[in-house]
Formats: sequence, structure tokens, C-alpha cells
Amino acid sequence: MRLLAHRLETERSASLAALTGQLGLVAGLTTLGCALGVAGDSLAGPGSSLGHAFASGSVHAGFLSAGWILALHGRGGWQGPALRGAGALLVASLAAGLSPVGAVAYLFVPLVIARDAIGWSARLEWIGWRAPRDLRTLFVGAAAGIFLGIHLLFAASLMLGYPVAVPDGRRYLAAVAYDIGVNAVTVEWLFRGAIFSALWRRWSFWPAAAASTGLALLRYLLDPALPQTAELVAGAMFYTLLLGLGCCALRAWSGSLWPGYLATVAFFAAYRILLV
Amino acid sequence: MIFGALGVVALIALAVRAAGGDQVSSLHHLYLLPALWAALARGVTGGCLVGLVAGLVQALSIFPLIERAGPSWPAVDGIVSLSTPLTLGLTVGRLLDQSRGRGAQLEALLDIQRSLAGEGTLGQRLAGVAELTRRALGVDRVRLVLEAGGADRIAASAPEQFHPAAALPTSAPTPCRRLVLPLDAGRGPAGALIAERDGDLSAATRGMASALALHLALAIENARLTERQRHFAHELEEKVAGATRRLRELDQAKNEFLTIASHELRTPLTALQGFSELLLTRDVPPERARRYLGHVHTESKRLGRIVGDLLDLSRIESGRGPELQRVPLDLGEIIEANLEIFASQHPRHHFDWSGTGSAPPLCADRDAVDRMLKNLLSNAIKYSPRGGRVRVGTAVPSDKPGMVELSVEDDGVGIAADALPRIFDPYVRISNPETAAAPGLGLGLSLVRGLAHAHGGSIEVESLPGKGSRFRVLLPA
Repeated sequence: MRLLAHRLETERSASLAALTGQLGLVAGLTTLGCALGVAGDSLAGPGSSLGHAFASGSVHAGFLSAGWILALHGRGGWQGPALRGAGALLVASLAAGLSPVGAVAYLFVPLVIARDAIGWSARLEWIGWRAPRDLRTLFVGAAAGIFLGIHLLFAASLMLGYPVAVPDGRRYLAAVAYDIGVNAVTVEWLFRGAIFSALWRRWSFWPAAAASTGLALLRYLLDPALPQTAELVAGAMFYTLLLGLGCCALRAWSGSLWPGYLATVAFFAAYRILLV
Repeated sequence: MIFGALGVVALIALAVRAAGGDQVSSLHHLYLLPALWAALARGVTGGCLVGLVAGLVQALSIFPLIERAGPSWPAVDGIVSLSTPLTLGLTVGRLLDQSRGRGAQLEALLDIQRSLAGEGTLGQRLAGVAELTRRALGVDRVRLVLEAGGADRIAASAPEQFHPAAALPTSAPTPCRRLVLPLDAGRGPAGALIAERDGDLSAATRGMASALALHLALAIENARLTERQRHFAHELEEKVAGATRRLRELDQAKNEFLTIASHELRTPLTALQGFSELLLTRDVPPERARRYLGHVHTESKRLGRIVGDLLDLSRIESGRGPELQRVPLDLGEIIEANLEIFASQHPRHHFDWSGTGSAPPLCADRDAVDRMLKNLLSNAIKYSPRGGRVRVGTAVPSDKPGMVELSVEDDGVGIAADALPRIFDPYVRISNPETAAAPGLGLGLSLVRGLAHAHGGSIEVESLPGKGSRFRVLLPA
């Protein structure tokens, strides 16, 4: 029948070569940023954290830029928003590296990203850049994150004996600001927004959720900031898996990235209380 | 409801902790209850969610046990215990979803059958069927497309906002899935069932859609057969009604014929009886007796003509046809002779014949042509009761090569269009208040047609009520 002969998608990505080239460029710049950060720390000597902050900012800027490329199907126009977002990220990272109070700068990163994303709203709707269909999903997202976070605290303290405390309020708030402004933003933007949405268009929910969550797991496993003991890696995998799948379900249910973002922020806000 | 079940999980967790849950492992079975409740209420989604939360809550007491004691039977017992609510929620929820799906499918099938058996056109009924199918499948949009012969298609959508074939939305946050299934009842695809859903189309939905497509194809095939039968029954009803009407008309014509025939036969018979009785019983002077004998002769000729017409018609109707002796004729001579007779008998009418001496040559039965002309002239006079012009014409028609045309035209009462198809039937007299008193058996035109057909010719009529009629006999030259 004539119906079957029609193309089912009218908007296609740029060619695979072009897309790979753009992602490769971002990966190269991210690696360069990391290298510069590490080299900076080596040159500055012990006690310097600016290099580490620069490297961390570079990685998140890479995630953000990759998200922009995939969200706009590699068709151009991503460079401006990606550069502005990356710039804001690097500045905020350096500011936080200088002083815990500088972490307040992290909170401006989402504003910079949102300012650009609002201009591209029509083309970003497919990744979930829109209000949720039902506002109750925001509550469900926050509740899921809090539940997982509390569960983590109980499990870690009961099982492994890690203390649950906030010895330094400023450092805790700086970490939460990092989660609010950078960690949750880039994770949701790239893994649940661009990657999960793109895979979900081609596959059904579970394969898409498993693949995007697997990539997010990889991101945490490769994070040098995460303690590398076996029980912590196992715990991180367990909770990241649950959080990733939960955020994918929230993204699919609500049509928006916001409930997943709240869940991630709530979970990490709890995680930061754990002294590991 | 799910929040209620989660609340029950929290209460059980508190109760187990208060009772020293590590020592009383049977209390962990209580976690099955909220998982079961959620599965029964919300299917696999509710069952899995509450089962997962129940498992996670139990993990808080079981994981430290594993951490402390390592792999052991109590650890295995704990893992089985924490995974049971999730397994139960998944299994019961899935079974419930399946049974609900089957129930919905059966209900939908019954509703679809009922809807297809309803009134209205197939297209109208399909709109209802599309909505029922949409509800049964739990999808957002359904479209049914049926081949209706040639390039025609019947399409029904539920709801109306169906994405056109080439325009599946690509910017929506939830991808739109489309499933296209052929409607095939075993005789090749008769159409397609197209279902769209924003989100995933589960394997259960796809399986159900396949089953529904098959049932729909069969139901639509049945509906089409029923529609065809209805159409056939309607046609048959119309035909029976037409035949009944025709039989009634024939019956009425027969009754009229009997009345008129008895009157027409009695009139000459009365004259014959009366004059012969006078001649037998009275002493009648010779001149008067001769005049009486003249009347007897005239009436017996009239009687003979009526009987002759009836016999000819009977022969024509039985398929034998009159015996014809085809000879070259001078058509003009026959026309002139008849016009002379009719003009002398009907002074109120004016007879015209424009073709004096130029009638085309014709090879036909002289008596038959004479009778045809007499009948047509007689009809023209009979149906022009107020007098008027009667025009006779002959010609070689350009549209019918090899034929000779003999036409008679009058300015009489004319014939209504709906009566025209019946005027050549035997015993039929078209009722008209102006001509009701005119004598006749309704045999004339039928006889003319029979004689024309016997020659291999035909007869045509054009008439306008109030304006007059024109009869045109075509005979082979």
C-alpha cells in the first residue's frame, strides 16, 4: 500500500560521518581540556585544585556540547550554545576551585544553558526540553530521588558503616550546587535527553533505557573522583542503575527532563551527606 | 492507589523492624501483600513498582547480613525473600494485564460485530468500529482503510486527528509508533488497520492488533455480504412490487377489456339481431329491407373485423405472427384511399398528406399496411375529440437506412410520459376524461406493433400531453 512506501520520519540527522566528526571534535577538545587541567596541576604543584576543576569543567562541557550536537541532529547551530555553556562551566569550575563560595557560580550555568535552549525550544522539544504533561510528575521525580538517596544512606551506614554527617556545611552546599548546576544538568541533558530520546525513537523503551543508563554508568565508573573500592563501585553501579532507569521512566512518562532532573538532584543531595 | 501500597510497605517495614525482623523471617512475607494489591489494581506497572520498593526496603536489612556473614543459607533466604515481591508483582500484574487484554479484546469484538451489524453505510459504521478498536488496543489513534473497488477507498478514523501518512511528528517528546496491518480474511488484503500510539507499542498490543485485524477483516467481509444481501433483497422487493403492480394493471386491463369487448361485440350483434328479426317477423318493403340488409352487412363486417383483430393479436402473442404476403406496394394509393374514407366519415377533422405521388417504394403485405394505417388514423381521430389536423407522412429516414417511414401525427390530447411505455401493450387504454367515451378494445396499437415487427420493422411514438402525438412506423423497404 501507498502508506507503507512513505518515509516515517521527515527530519533526519546529518550524515553519520558529519555527526561523528562533530562528536570527535568535541571529544578532542574535552581531552585537551583534561590534559591542560592535569598539566596545570602538575606545574602548580601539590595543593592546587584549579587544574582538577578545569579538567572536570572540560568533561562536563564535553557532555553538554555532545548533547547539543545530538539534540540538533548535527545540523549546525550547536556551536554557539555549546561554546557559551562550556565557557560558563569552565568559569564556574575555576571559581569553585578557587574557593567553596565560588561554587555559587555553578548555579548560573543552568541559566546560561536555559537562555540558549529557550531560543531553540521548538527543536529541543523532542529531547524533553519542555514542561511535564502533568505537574505531579515533578513530585514523583523528587520523591523517587529522595527515596533512593535515603536508601543509599541507610544501606551505606548499616552495611558498610559509613558515617552520615555534614561536617562542613559550606563544602556540602558547594557539592550540592555542583549537582544542581552541573552534574544533574549535563547527565540529564546528554544521557536522558539526547541519547535516550534518540534511541527511544528507534527502539522500544527498555533497550533505549538500558543503553542510555549503561552509558551513564560508564561515565560514573570512569569518574576519577569516585572512590574505587569494590563495595563503593558496586554500590555506585546499583544506585546509578536504579536512578538511570527511573529517570528514563520519568522522562518517558512525563515527556520532560524536569522530573528526572529533580530525582537526580535529590539523590545526589543525599549522597553528599555520606562521608566516603 | 500506588501511594497507598507504598504506605503499606513503609508500615510493614516499621512493624518488621519493631519485631526484630532479622529473627522473624516469616514477617517478610507481608511485603507480598502490597505488591499483590498494586498488581491487581494497576497491573504490571503497579506490581513491579511496589515490588521493587518492597525489595529495596528489605535489602536494607538483608544486605548487611550478607556483608557480615558472606554467602550463606540465611543470605540466600534473604535474597529470595527480597526478590519475591517484585517477582509476584511482575507475574500477577502481567497475568492480570493479559486477562484484561483478552477480556477487552472479546468485548471489543462483540461491540465491533454489533456496530458492523447496525444501520447506516459501511463507512459510517466503520467510524464507530475504529473508535472501538482504538479503545480495545489502548492506542491513541486508529484508522481503517478499505478498498471499495478501483481507486475508491473507505477510510474511518478515531479520533479525527490522524497523522497523515507522510507526517509522523518528529519533534514531539514522545515518539509516535505506527502499526499497519492488512485486513485479510483469506482472499487477499481488503484494506488496512493502522494504529498509532505516542510511546511504545507493546508485544501484547501488537499481538492483539493482529488478532483484531483478522477478526475485523472477517467481520467487515460479513458486513459487506450482509450489505450486498440487503441490497439484493431490496432490489428483489422492488422487482416483486413492480411485477405485482404490473399484474394488477394487467388484471385491470383484462377487466376493462372484458367490459369493452362485450360492449363492442354486443353493439353489432344487437343490430344484427334487431334487423334480422324485423326482416323475419314483419312485412318490410323491398327498399327498406335492402337498407336493413345493408346495416346487417356493415355490422357483420365490423364484427368480423373485431374478431379478426383478436385472432391476429392472439397469433402474434403466441409467437406465430400473421401470414404476410410481401408484394411491391404503392403506399400513396393506400394512404389516399384511407384518407378519402376517413375524411368522409369525420368532417370535423382535416387530413393532410404532403407526399402525394412521391411515396417511397415499399415491399410489404398490403392488407397489413392498410390495417396499420387504419388503426393509426382511427386512434388519431379517437384521441382528437375536438377535431383538428391529422397529418400523414412518408419518408426514407436518414437515421434508418433501408427503411420506409409511415407517420401519423395529430393535435389531440397527447399521452403522459409515464404511460408511453405501456401504450403498445394489448388491452391497455390510457384513461383520459376527454376520450373515455371513445370505443375501442385497446388492441389497435398492439396490433400495429405486432404487424410492424412481423415485417421486421418497428414503431416509435413521440407525444406531449395537450399538444398531440406522432406515431412513426418503420418498415423494411
